[in-house]
Amino acid sequence: MRIPVQINESSAEPLYHQIETQLRSLIVTGQVAEGTLLPSIREFAADLKCSVITIRRVYQDLENEGLLRTRQGTGTFVTRVDTDDREEYKKQIVLEAVRSLLDAARSVGYSPEELKALVDETLRKEERK
Amino acid sequence: MENTVVEWRGVVKRRERMTLGPVDIELRENHVTALIGRNGSGKSTLMKLAAGLIYPDAGEISWFGSAYPDGIPAEVRTRMSYVPENFATEEDGIKMDAAAEFRSFWYPSWDWQRYEELLRKFEVPGGKRLDKLSKGQRRKFEIAAALAVRPKLLLLDEPSSGLDPFAWKTMLEEIRRCVEEDRATVLLSTHIVEEVRRMADYLLLLDGGRSLGIREKDALLDAGREVWIEDDEELVRELPGVTEWARESEGMIRFVTTDYAGAAALLGEAGVRPIRARALELDEMMEHWMEGRLSS
Repeated sequence: MRIPVQINESSAEPLYHQIETQLRSLIVTGQVAEGTLLPSIREFAADLKCSVITIRRVYQDLENEGLLRTRQGTGTFVTRVDTDDREEYKKQIVLEAVRSLLDAARSVGYSPEELKALVDETLRKEERK
Repeated sequence: MENTVVEWRGVVKRRERMTLGPVDIELRENHVTALIGRNGSGKSTLMKLAAGLIYPDAGEISWFGSAYPDGIPAEVRTRMSYVPENFATEEDGIKMDAAAEFRSFWYPSWDWQRYEELLRKFEVPGGKRLDKLSKGQRRKFEIAAALAVRPKLLLLDEPSSGLDPFAWKTMLEEIRRCVEEDRATVLLSTHIVEEVRRMADYLLLLDGGRSLGIREKDALLDAGREVWIEDDEELVRELPGVTEWARESEGMIRFVTTDYAGAAALLGEAGVRPIRARALELDEMMEHWMEGRLSS
């Protein structure tokens, strides 16, 4: 299968980090389901035009986190994510987004009050849709 | 974890117009290394040495863990496939299938099914004499024959020259298959940046016969960034790996670094966040490498 991971050329993050973050989020949100057989390391590397060294590192890291499991001769699979873990991961993903929102606000000189007001206003608009 | 398939220690080869080396390299099992460098930098000489067709004037080359100063035994040779840049004329008069028959005799691992399949994919008409094939067809035949050996070491000297874009794509896919299915180790020389992007795990750079060593492709890409920050000339002058910088507008500086990890650490210490960053293209990084602007 082809995994919807995309490398962002205007990111300051190293390649393995970009791929790892996106793949982790796909797994913990359940968008790539438990039991899914991931592409081989070489296939995934070709797909993203990166090296197998990078993909091996990503698979290794996510395996250490318990999100993936490699079975000798068959390939790398997505394992079951505990509900508690899933909630924690989801929180982490949103937290990261909130942090970059804070950075953006700070860089243009928004006060915390102005930011809160804007977030509330946006939420209200979204709910009305 | 991974074995070294090819190992060079202080290899030197003197040619008429340049001297290659000393070259010290290792090719890791089951990886693809792109051999890059300008015309006349010694790529084809390095390829021939790797294929054991010529011998070094100094230094030592070993294949699959052993050196063979008195000649490479057939058992080792048959685990290697080499596609030269220019083809020998000895086989010109014979037909493709006879040439394939000949190779199948020498290579115990020859796979007829794979050979037929590759010719079909490359759309090479069967039964023709080798000297009656077009340049591109001849190359397709040679690549098919090289892959049909199911080699453990695959050496390709500018394999894409003369191929149309469709055949080129097929070739890349089939080389990849050879790496996956046969666990082959590949060294391929090329001028095409896109080929390096798609295929390589490692890059080996030659410059006028001098070896600039092997680098991991993604580490090379991760090292290069063009960055915009708020004006702070003093800080930019301190950053490592900066190859150029300019004040682009009032209050903003743009710089290019080939040591982004180092630069980012200093920026972090100073509490400066980039306004924007852009990864450098592979060819830009290759140029910086060639010009000696990379930190080791």
